[in-house]
Amino acid sequence: MADAALFEFLHTEMVAELWAHHSDPGPGGQKMSLSVLEGMGFRVGQALGERLPQETLAFREELDILKFLCKDLWVAVFQKQMDSLRTNHQGTYVLQDNSFPLLIRMAAGLQYLEEAPKFLAFTCGLLRGALSTLGIKSLVTASVASLPTCKFQVVIQKT
Amino acid sequence: MTVHNLYLFDRNGVCLHYSEWHRKKQTGIPKEEEYKLMYGMLFSIRSFVSKMSPLDMKDGFLAFQTSRYKLHYYETPTGIKVVMNTDLGVGPIRDVLHHIYSALYVELVVKNPLCPLGQTVQSELFRSRLDSYVRSLPFFSARAG
Repeated sequence: MADAALFEFLHTEMVAELWAHHSDPGPGGQKMSLSVLEGMGFRVGQALGERLPQETLAFREELDILKFLCKDLWVAVFQKQMDSLRTNHQGTYVLQDNSFPLLIRMAAGLQYLEEAPKFLAFTCGLLRGALSTLGIKSLVTASVASLPTCKFQVVIQKT
Repeated sequence: MTVHNLYLFDRNGVCLHYSEWHRKKQTGIPKEEEYKLMYGMLFSIRSFVSKMSPLDMKDGFLAFQTSRYKLHYYETPTGIKVVMNTDLGVGPIRDVLHHIYSALYVELVVKNPLCPLGQTVQSELFRSRLDSYVRSLPFFSARAG
């Protein structure tokens, strides 16, 4: 689909833009940019969370919501499903994507490993936003061991 | 039948990538000079070919051959030039060069946020995919023919 390329290019530019205007290239500035990206993803995720679930009416439990993220949300944004979902049944979920589309063109191994987190921040926000619209407060972080496989860790915040 | 080497240039003459598979003789000049020489020659031949053509030209310069090797050329509207030297038994490979451009260069370099355009390609993924693609071509044999 040509639309996938549009989103990828736009996302690439977002990351590049935030890093280009770095007055503070140290870890403090980095964190700011990462949280700006995450915030953007959060608002997009909130909107997608409202718009997407059409057929699936009642989410009976948390696990259903996470499954919805792995299947419907991922397919809508990245044209593929998440490859694996694991949980400790105590509010922590690990979602693994073995060929994450935003990383797949970069490398197949360890090259560019330090740069990878920049490209995951928006998606972490996306997940957190969608969860928040569906009523779940959470914290989402991402980690990459070797491209293009990445893991998103979702920790549900019990209020 | 075999592939000797491959050059990739952008529209400003920057050599984006060079790989070689079977090359028995080097030019004897530094690599930077060699790239400039290759680019300059291509530029001149292209304009020569279009000026001197006795008919209306469709694709322009495609290839030249000597008694030992054949040089194949493919240029895109954006000025990216793919140059491949093979031995003489190889026929027109425009589609191969086009595949190198569209499925390898565009997919893995243009779409890679960490590869700045206009500079030599650093991506290992591009290098290894290009290498395995060329090795898989029907006219590539591991022993130089």
